[in-house]
Formats: sequence, structure tokens, C-alpha cells
Amino acid sequence: MNIKFQTIKLLAAFLIISVLLNDVCGQSITSENYFSSSNRLAFGSHLYKEKDYLRALGEFKEYLRSNENDTVQFRMANCYLRIGRHEEAADNFKLLFYGSSVTDESRLMFYKSLFSRNDYKSFREYTLRENYLPQSYIGEIERLKYITFFLDNSVMPKEDEMLAPFPDSVRSQISKFYLNKKFPKQKSVSAAVLLSAIIPGAGKIYTGDIGDGLTVFVATALSAYLAYSNFKNDHQFRGWLFTGLTAFFYGGNIYGSAASAQIYNARIRFNFDNEVKLFFEQRNYFLPKMDL
Amino acid sequence: MTAFKIISIILLFIVPEFCAQTDWVKWNAAPVSYQIPALERQDYTLDRSGFGMTVLSVVRNGYYFFISDLDGDNCAFSPSCSSFYLQSVKETSIFKGTLMFADRFARDINFFKGSNKYHKLPAGKYFDPAYNYTLHSEKIKL
Amino acid sequence: MKIIFKFIPVYFFIAFIIRGQDNLSIQFDYAQNLFDGQQYFDAITEYKRLLFFDSENKYSFRANMKIGECYKAGAKYDDAVKYFSVAELTAGSEDEIFESKLEIIRSNILRRTTGRALQLCDDLENDLRFGSKSDDINYWRGWAFIFADDWKNASKSFGKINPYHELKLLADRTDKAKVSVTFAKVISYILPGAGAIYCGNFLSGLMSLGWNALSGYWTINSFVEKRAFDGIVAGELVWLRFYRGAIQNAETIAIEKNIDITNNSLRFLQYEYKGIKP
Repeated sequence: MNIKFQTIKLLAAFLIISVLLNDVCGQSITSENYFSSSNRLAFGSHLYKEKDYLRALGEFKEYLRSNENDTVQFRMANCYLRIGRHEEAADNFKLLFYGSSVTDESRLMFYKSLFSRNDYKSFREYTLRENYLPQSYIGEIERLKYITFFLDNSVMPKEDEMLAPFPDSVRSQISKFYLNKKFPKQKSVSAAVLLSAIIPGAGKIYTGDIGDGLTVFVATALSAYLAYSNFKNDHQFRGWLFTGLTAFFYGGNIYGSAASAQIYNARIRFNFDNEVKLFFEQRNYFLPKMDL
Repeated sequence: MTAFKIISIILLFIVPEFCAQTDWVKWNAAPVSYQIPALERQDYTLDRSGFGMTVLSVVRNGYYFFISDLDGDNCAFSPSCSSFYLQSVKETSIFKGTLMFADRFARDINFFKGSNKYHKLPAGKYFDPAYNYTLHSEKIKL
Repeated sequence: MKIIFKFIPVYFFIAFIIRGQDNLSIQFDYAQNLFDGQQYFDAITEYKRLLFFDSENKYSFRANMKIGECYKAGAKYDDAVKYFSVAELTAGSEDEIFESKLEIIRSNILRRTTGRALQLCDDLENDLRFGSKSDDINYWRGWAFIFADDWKNASKSFGKINPYHELKLLADRTDKAKVSVTFAKVISYILPGAGAIYCGNFLSGLMSLGWNALSGYWTINSFVEKRAFDGIVAGELVWLRFYRGAIQNAETIAIEKNIDITNNSLRFLQYEYKGIKP
């Protein structure tokens, strides 16, 4: 009887404790909710480190629904920037402009986002908004502004003004860029056309297409000779045929010389743009590495 | 074996870095085709953008059918001279297009065209599109 | 009462294990649902979340395999192979290693990096742990050959599984239906247009023959009439061009015909074949 009573007591106690444990302690165990704010932040930060920015972005966005955190907001904006969504990056950096612990960093990154849009004219307009400028990074923004003049076709400021914000070590190179941009070593389309009109192929030789120039000279000369020869031997049809062919080559040669000069100039611009971009990219556009 | 383990561990850590960029834009399931792509053949499509273009593309198709398909692969460029002519006329006018074609023809008979002037395509042809020769510098793509 | 107090830590431990596992399995099921709903990008996010919170790496193999499968479904085979490789490194048994290796082979087959797929098949075959899996290995080797358009070797591989294997018979039929590109070219050297006719393209073959006959006549006639310049021009610019063109044309037509035959079989494999596919 005693044993039976003891067993019942034991079972009852076990049940009560079980219920208590389940309600009180068990809650802490089951509350390992992977979608809680803190877990989203932890997972988002892990993805951010892995450079899985789009997914990190999603986690940060969810976290910020119920929390305020400047660092997370900054990282979220940076995610947008890294994945090439520059407009959204700029908008999100802008949210940290006032009353934030990362005001200046956000303003700098805001300008970086605008710069990355490749709309340099609009970028320069933004540099005139003094209430947007980060006080600790005025020099950086100034340099970015002058770099934009190398990247589009706007009228260049004076050389001294352009060189001033850059360190001494790169000034000579930037001075070279300045001269190349202002006085590009291009070929004249008119000169190419004129040369080809006088001597077929000469315009192409002038633009560096020596093989094409010589070929068109031989083709025009040969067909002209055949036309002359056939007329001389009273082969009227062949004479006119080769006359047409001569006109065909001659006209094509003049047109082609103009096109060749344009392509030459486009190549000069293309190579210059690449050289400039590479130069500044290698130096991160003189911006500090910014990651929180 | 030790080297293999070290490489494996390194791989384990660097894999996420590699994969991250794939996912910077959301993607969906991609349809897979087991089939081998067919050989690139002449495009016989009729251009119906105007009477002149229709006539020109009929002439081109005739040239393809009776001559070009039978005399082998002779043009070193892509698009071929006949397609270049049609594209030139479409982009400009019959007169300007003919001049562009005359220039292309002269460049085609140049024995020494294998310079760095043209991009070489995987099929071994030189890429030389008509839009680079319209005399509109903003259309030039290098 | 003492017994009860002794039982409490045990209870906590068991509860922790069971509930911890539950959360992970719930997360796995959630990711799996997304996977089943073909939302592969989101499924990867959830598998990654699972991996992040799975501190004891219980789901490492399964989740990495699933991520690989997601990338495979998105035709991102490079990423798929990387995740299958990670899964292989975290595999807990020989069966899991074999499974991950097969997935790498299947991805290589779809990526058409046949050399790599075949090399991996050879590695598996030489691995003593997988001696009993030769049928699986031969099956995927056969598929690798199919994707490389090598039906003869595909037939040999499937034949090792079963001489009457459905895919062996298909490979044999496909190989037999193909035309010989070399033969088409050689007969075109002898008679221009014959190669095209051999491949069933009579119109092209006869037109080729016609052009060659006509330009040959012009050339020979010019020389007979002592117009050497005309003869050279006609011979060089017309006859030679169409003669060479007939050979090239025969080759192109033969290759096209073979591609058609191959694609017919590949279409069957993709849409009608009931067995396991890459």
C-alpha cells in the first residue's frame, strides 16, 4: 500500500514538474526561432561576410522592421551598392544623414553610390549641395568630382584646379591624362577623306589601316586599267563594267576612309577611358575602405 | 592525402565566396535542353520593313540559294558581306549602304586583315558589324 | 523525491536534444517545401539558414546537396559542382560520398564537360569502396558519352549493364542512322554534289553538280579558244570556288543531318525516357 502510494506520488510529482518544465523552461528551448530579429541579424551578418549581399539584404531589411540600428542600416545600403542597385543604395545611405553615429561615412558612401551610377553631370550637381557633404571627407568628394571630368565629355576645368586635390605622387600621371583628354591624338576625318580622294587608299594608310589602304589602291588602279584597256580594244561592255567597278572601289574608299578615321578616334577614346578607369579603380578612386 | 585534406578545407571555406556573386540577382529555374545547337546557317528571313528592303532581301535569298550555299564559306567576316550590305541599307540608305558595302568588299579582299583591328569570334570569323560604319560616332562599339 | 531531482538534468538533456532537432528539421522541411515549389533561390537561403544554425553539422551533407541541386535546377552548374563537392567533404558514409560524386558527374554531363565526367567515372570505378556500384558508374558514363554525341561508346557502356538495355538499343539505333561525314566529303572530291546527294539533299547536290559542269565548261572552252586570261579567271574564281564549295557543302549537310539524328534521340531521352536522367 505504501509502495503504491509512493509510486502515485512520484508519478504525480513527475507530471507536475513535466508541465512546469514544458511551460517555463521548455519555452526557452522552443523559442530558438531562426526568424527572430536577433537571429536574422546574426544570419544576415554571416551572409554579408560571405558577400552574399542580396540574401543579407533581405535579412537586414526584416531586422530593421522592428529595430533601429545605424550599422545594420549602413550595411544594408552597402549591400545595395555592392550588387549594383545604386539608386537604392543612395536612398538608404541618405537615411543616415542626420542624427546617426555614421553620418559622415554614410554621406561619403552616398556620393560613392551616385558616382557609381555613371551620371557624372548629376554627381557634380550634388557636390554643390553643401548640406549633404561629409565634413570629414570633403577632400575625397572633391577628388571624385574632378575624376568625373575624365569620364565624360564635359568642359574640363583648368589643369591646376584639377590637380590640386590629388597627392603629389600621382599628379604627373593625372597631368598626362589631362593633356590626353584635352588634346586627344585623333585623326582628322576630313584629312582622311581628302587624301583618299586624291590617292585611293591614302586616307586609310593615314589612319593606320595600311593593308586596307594598299588593297583598295591596287583594286581601284587595276579595275581602272582594265576599263581603259577594254575601251581601247573596243570592248564597250567590259569597259563600262570595269568603269563601274572602279567607281565602286573609289567611292567605297573615300567613304571607308572617313569611317576608318572615326573608328580610329573611337579606339583612342576607348583606350584612354580604360586607362583612366583602371588607374583610378586600382586606387579605389582615392576613397578610404569603408565597411562597418 | 594530407595535401588533399588541406585543399579540401580551403575549398570548404572559399566556396561561399565564389558562389555569392551568382546570387546578386534573383534567378529562377532555367529550362535545360539536351539538344545540340544546330549549325549556323544563312538567315532566309524576309525583311518586310519596306518595299525596297523586301526586294533586297529577296535578291539576297536568291544569292544565298543559288550561289552562296553552294560555293562554300568564303567570307572571313561576320556578318558576311551580303548580310552586311542588307544591314547597311537598313541602317542608312541604299546609296550610303552601297558605299559601306564597297568599303567592306575592299577590306574583304585584303590578304592581310588578320590584325588586331577586328575581334575574332569563336568560329574564327572577324566580327565587323555595319553599325560601326554609319559615320555616326556614337554608334561605334569596340 | 530524490529520484525526481536526479531525473531533472536527464529530462533537460533529452528535451534539449529533441527540441533542438525539431527546430532544425522544421527548417529543413521549410526549405524543402520551397525546393519542391521550384523556388530555388529562396530554398538556398533557407538551406543556408539551416547550415548557419546547425551548430552540430547534422544537416551539412543534406543541405549542401540540396543547395547543389538548386543551382543545378537553375543551370548554374559551376556553383552546383562546388556545393556537391562541399557535400562530399561533409559526407558521413560511403553511400553519401558516392551520392555526391554522382551528382558532380551528372552536373558535368549537363555542363557538357564530358572529359571531367568521364574522369570522375574512372575514379569511382578504380575506388575499391564502390566495387559493387559498377552498374551506376556505367550508366552515367553512358550518359556522358551521349552528351558528347559519342553513341558508339555510349552503347558499350550501357551494354556492360545489360546487353538489351533500353539505352544501349537507342544508342545503337542512333549510331546506325548517322551518315559518314568523311565519306560524304570524299565522294564530293570525285563527283561534286555527290556528298549532298548521299545525305539525301538531292536539290543541293544537283545544283552543285550543275555549277561545276557549267564553270568547268567555261574554263576549258576559254583555254580551247586560246583565251588564257579568261580561262584562268573562270577557273580560279568560279570553277575552283564551286568545286571547293561542293566539298564544304557536303560536309555541312552531313553534319547537319547527324545533328538532326542526335537531337531526335536527345529529345526522346529528355521528354519520353522514364529512367533516371542527369
